[in-house]
Amino acid sequence: MAKVIVYPPTSMILSDLVERNGHKALVVPEVVRRLVTANEIESPPLNITPEEPKKGLRYAAVDVPSGVRGRMSLIGPIIEEAEAAIIVEDPGWLTGCAGCSRTNELVRLLIRTKGVPVLDLSYPTNDAEAKVFVQKIKAFLEGLK
Amino acid sequence: MLVTKYVITSSESNVLPSDIAMKIYGSKYDVNVKETCFGVIVNGEEEVINALIKEIRALDPAGIFIKDRGFPPGDPRRCRGRRGGGARPGFYMIEAESKMLPLISRALAWEGDIPAIPEKKKPLAIKRLEEIAKEGLS
Amino acid sequence: MIRIAQLSCGSEYSGIQKEIERAAETVGAKIIYPEVSLDDILNVENTFGVSVSSGDLNLAMARAVRIVQNPDLADAVIVMTCFRCAEAAIIRSEIRKYVHENSKIPVLSYSFTERTTAETLLTRMEALVTTVKYRGLLAREKQKGLTAGIDSGSTTTKSVVMRDNQVVGTGWVPTTEVLKSAEDALQAALKMAGVQKEDVSAIGVTGYGRFLVGKHINAKLVQEEITVNSKGAVFLADAQKGPATVIDIGGMDNKAISVQDGIPGGFTMGGICAGASGRFLELTARRLGIDITELGKLALKGDYRNVAMNSYCIVFGTQSLVNSLSMGCKPEDVAMAACHSVAEQVYEQQLQEVEVKEPVIMVGGTSLIEGLPKAMEELLQVKVSVPKYAQYIGAVGAALLVSGLLED
Repeated sequence: MAKVIVYPPTSMILSDLVERNGHKALVVPEVVRRLVTANEIESPPLNITPEEPKKGLRYAAVDVPSGVRGRMSLIGPIIEEAEAAIIVEDPGWLTGCAGCSRTNELVRLLIRTKGVPVLDLSYPTNDAEAKVFVQKIKAFLEGLK
Repeated sequence: MLVTKYVITSSESNVLPSDIAMKIYGSKYDVNVKETCFGVIVNGEEEVINALIKEIRALDPAGIFIKDRGFPPGDPRRCRGRRGGGARPGFYMIEAESKMLPLISRALAWEGDIPAIPEKKKPLAIKRLEEIAKEGLS
Repeated sequence: MIRIAQLSCGSEYSGIQKEIERAAETVGAKIIYPEVSLDDILNVENTFGVSVSSGDLNLAMARAVRIVQNPDLADAVIVMTCFRCAEAAIIRSEIRKYVHENSKIPVLSYSFTERTTAETLLTRMEALVTTVKYRGLLAREKQKGLTAGIDSGSTTTKSVVMRDNQVVGTGWVPTTEVLKSAEDALQAALKMAGVQKEDVSAIGVTGYGRFLVGKHINAKLVQEEITVNSKGAVFLADAQKGPATVIDIGGMDNKAISVQDGIPGGFTMGGICAGASGRFLELTARRLGIDITELGKLALKGDYRNVAMNSYCIVFGTQSLVNSLSMGCKPEDVAMAACHSVAEQVYEQQLQEVEVKEPVIMVGGTSLIEGLPKAMEELLQVKVSVPKYAQYIGAVGAALLVSGLLED
């Protein structure tokens, strides 16, 4: 079983396909869960405090906007954990944790320069493309075993 | 550790969110369930949720999808009723991917050959464009 | 409950969402998020005019469109994005313009860092709420009866006494101990007006020390300086009808306010750098060995182009001035260079965030340093007026507004 990071890091489809093929999907909601279920913090909605943008300095300098660094404090650690990655081309409707394009660019860069196997795809727009999409993911994940 | 997961059904699945909820209510699992328009949210101990999800998937292996969620169901920090209306930003991504689920479902269920995808259209060669322009202008 | 629609990108991930909500709560408002659909976000290029690669900015624009189409959804709008994000800076400014031009909803724009706190946002939020809550009061054009105003500023405390639409007494003291300074300024104004404190029907208070002073002297009106100053400015400049732009360069922060019929429609408030404040001019005067009241006249004789000023920072900026003096630059050129530097910073950092419409009125103590309005005129290429009593602007606005409360 490999730890596979998916991009967009909140994707239901990608994380589902990774898990149903017997691997561990590394996703942002798991990180958010740790934050929002921590009792000692009180900074709704996400319990992100000004400390998170500071933790994000590990991935981006202080002149990078605080929103990028705050997001990186969530996504950066799971990039470090990743043993493989599936990257889907930006579909134009990413919001929330994936709502900042500068963060997303940095995330893709860090994944690609990490040196783990990466599968590049686009979201399917018809049945033929969907069959290839699912097949490629399956083959990629089988290759990781 | 308590975890929360979305169970989302493809719009073409014969299994309805209410069927899933009924299945969980009638099961041995001690979990919280919340029905939503696109599926159900389940919350419980990680091992319990994982075992439950296996059973739910079996209802329609190609038509039911699972997604992790950070917040417990109905968390006031994320509830739009308590937070001045408007969907939370991440909702739009679930909505966009949900619309794609029938394609993925059919692909998962497909057992035939994988079709060849025609290559993406490339821009017209400049020489050919020149010819067309000349033809059009003459 | 005042509903402030938040159109933003990055606030949750900067860890400051709670601060925004806390500031809103303090001023009796609630943050709301207009409902939009996925299609609204995907169609934002058609409805708003552009879509960008960051989805949360597209969401903010879609929400702005929804508010303009349904103005009943919100009483006020704040547009907030991360400081130092170019993509967001463009969209933040465009959303502000879009809401300002297509609705009557007051709008505030702000760029935050992880260091932004509720306290930073409080005055801005209070002004936003005031423009919604007290529209009737802000529409008041005449002062009636005998009232007083106190402006408890960071550097100086000002007071005026007004009678039947005229300023009849003024007082100005440096702020030392907040309550004592307020009392001294008020006494000076009362003495000049030839009246006793008991004769005054009501007192209005504004400025940094407003809560403390207001409580101490039992003020009838305790109000932030954005609404009060814009009211005072259009009153003194006789520009109560139609558009106006008010620029107030203070000792600790600067305000640029876009006013329509005496009511602020949009404003910015800066206060990160002392190099863009009255403090810098004070330091310059000291370096030149002259009194601050002489700096302006000296500056009028100078040309800023003769001095190399290549820093906006108060420390390095002062260093530049010292260097230029030692290299033989004339004091008048140095004085004008300092005025130009402050004006340029306000122009670049704040006037880009509001609609600059004539008349442009400069107020506050710094407006009396003649070189400063002149430098601003050169930058804006429009006439900048400094009304009589400009240094008492907050006190005049407070005395005027509080008289409106007496009739109710």
